[in-house]
Amino acid sequence: MDWHAFTARRRGIVRDASHRRRTYGALAVTALFTAPLVLLVTGSLREPGLPPVVAPPLLPDDPGIAAYQQAITHGDLVRAAVNSMVVAAVGVPLSLLVASLAGFALTQLPRRVTSTVIALSVLAMMVPATALLLPRFVLFRTLHLTDTLVPLVAPALIATSPLYPLIYFLAFRAIPADSYDLCRLADLTPMQTWRRMALPQVQPVTAGLAALTFVLTWSNLLDPMVYLYDRAAFTLPLALRALAAMDPHNQPVFLAGAVLTTLPTLLVLGVAQRRFLHSYGPEGAS
Amino acid sequence: MKRTVALLSLLTMFTAAGVTAGCGADADPAADTVSLLVAGTPDELAAYRSLAAEYEKATPGATVDLIEASSAKDLMTRVSTSVAGNAAPDLFLINYRNYGQFAVKGALAPLTARLAASGSLHEQDFYPQAMGAFRWGGEQMCLPQNISSLAVYYNRSLFKKYEVAEPVAGWHWNDLVATAQALTRDAGGRTVKAGDPETAGVPAAVHGLGITPELIRLAPLIWSNGGDIVDDPAAPTRLTLDTPEARQVIQDFLELPKIGVVPSDVEVETQDHEARFAAGKLAMFVSSRRVTTAFRAITGFDWDVAPLPQYRSPANILHSDAYCMTKASSRQDAAWRFLEYALSDPGAALMARTGRTVPSRISVATSPAFLSPGTPPARSQIFLDTIPALRPVPTISTWPEIEDATGKVLENAFFHGDPLDKVIADLDAATRPVFQRGTAAR
Repeated sequence: MDWHAFTARRRGIVRDASHRRRTYGALAVTALFTAPLVLLVTGSLREPGLPPVVAPPLLPDDPGIAAYQQAITHGDLVRAAVNSMVVAAVGVPLSLLVASLAGFALTQLPRRVTSTVIALSVLAMMVPATALLLPRFVLFRTLHLTDTLVPLVAPALIATSPLYPLIYFLAFRAIPADSYDLCRLADLTPMQTWRRMALPQVQPVTAGLAALTFVLTWSNLLDPMVYLYDRAAFTLPLALRALAAMDPHNQPVFLAGAVLTTLPTLLVLGVAQRRFLHSYGPEGAS
Repeated sequence: MKRTVALLSLLTMFTAAGVTAGCGADADPAADTVSLLVAGTPDELAAYRSLAAEYEKATPGATVDLIEASSAKDLMTRVSTSVAGNAAPDLFLINYRNYGQFAVKGALAPLTARLAASGSLHEQDFYPQAMGAFRWGGEQMCLPQNISSLAVYYNRSLFKKYEVAEPVAGWHWNDLVATAQALTRDAGGRTVKAGDPETAGVPAAVHGLGITPELIRLAPLIWSNGGDIVDDPAAPTRLTLDTPEARQVIQDFLELPKIGVVPSDVEVETQDHEARFAAGKLAMFVSSRRVTTAFRAITGFDWDVAPLPQYRSPANILHSDAYCMTKASSRQDAAWRFLEYALSDPGAALMARTGRTVPSRISVATSPAFLSPGTPPARSQIFLDTIPALRPVPTISTWPEIEDATGKVLENAFFHGDPLDKVIADLDAATRPVFQRGTAAR
């Protein structure tokens, strides 16, 4: 074996070992965070009405889906899921659109203006959400928008969180200046530059923020509690809250509701993670 | 890109146009439409829906917009925001310990005149203890829907199994402790005693007693021992837990974890008292009528209720919720008509059948709708027998904050064994400023 073959083989062994370590590490972390989810699922398979237990057995004696049927009926989960999906379907893309446009705009502004906007964003992040609850309630009430899903979607108009435009700003700023120069030479407008050059290069950021925004929107309890009165307008967190108030014998019904509510979040996180890893992984680094 | 923006705009407009159903508080103030905010378990909320449906059936043209909250805490969030935002529901149901903060702001419509003029509701229809708790500045602010108190729920099967005498009226606190000790057992059925070298380290499979360390649990015991919890119940300025009567009760209460008859804080975190009792792992549980509906689902053992133990004389604490009408309501006449129905015999009986509440209306409380022969608890009558001994906590606008502040101190003391003098001093220090900020009903 010549020297080149030896070093190539050695590099391969080191890469394999590193890959194995990453895999085992990922498996260990996954196992750690999967345990509560497993208990959630096994608990939901117990028959409702049995004496409550501290922790459900890993394998229920007589597993069934009665708890799921009751959760859907008592919690009105189908209607709540439709409402939550409408909010997420409108809110998440809108939030990403606003955040990415705002983040991109920050890269195009003079440094002093950018610094001022960033300082204001940080300041905005420090305002407790509860402090804004009443003014927002009065605003939506005046606009006759309470008891509709609009107040739940509205935060997307300001990117859901001041943090998200800042993350986009950092991502867009990391794109080499040459790329922006090339766009200018090609006579692209700022909007065209954002859409055709900048946005495709920050796809992992978009995937990550999409997942985060979805989780925030999907699990939002406070806003629906304040703005929604009609049961028909309730979103999943409110419906799940109602199931949580059931007596201890119906613990499996609540857990079944929790499983159904968690599934879309897991799905979105899984898709976003694949997108993220594929972009930054050793094989597909972009 | 243009298509994406157009689609998003369309979706937003679609949502704004009212993907959802009607507009609750935003609806046109139709003369016979009334909005009612209530909290409860799915069973209770179903009962309120039935009440609304029955009212609509009995009153042609009337409609009830029911606003549902899942817990008292959620209800408070909704009421606070909507009252502050001038969009309050016409009626809401609230505990007397919490309504002071709305009464002091003038957010409630007094009902004295309406009650006096009513042809179907009369003051004497209700227990005076519950009516009195909702008087503010001489006005009847709200009308009570229920009147509950503390009782000892006990697992009768365990009492029989271990041949322990069942609680009887007039039993003393020391009897409760002795009974709890006799029923605290390990997995093999042997008694577990704290400090006993033979059972040291043996975990209890069944605990004798479940009781939460709260001021509203201590109060009736202190009253029973001849003490009081505040200096002036009509206009309190501080707690008076440093009297010999109160000190003795607090000392006895804080002894419970030391003698090992109550679950530890970790055990309570993993399974609360209600679930623990339902699972057959708690022999006795001190609670109000609230838990009855949940316990009726128990099939594995027999259970009943016993009166709260006493020191020198019988005493108990009032638990009561009432319908309050908001001053901002533009449909007060419709709201009153609904109240008249909800608190009438048929309306009150409908809610009584849930089992969760003791009706405030005397005729319904003494009827089978509440006493429900053949349905546990067999001794529901004790909730009525204790009514003459009921006392309310002071009606002061900051009372919820006082409960919060004392709860933290008492929980720490109960589970971590703080010295008595420190506990009393901490309770006083934590509550004095809150009393000063409060406005009393008087």
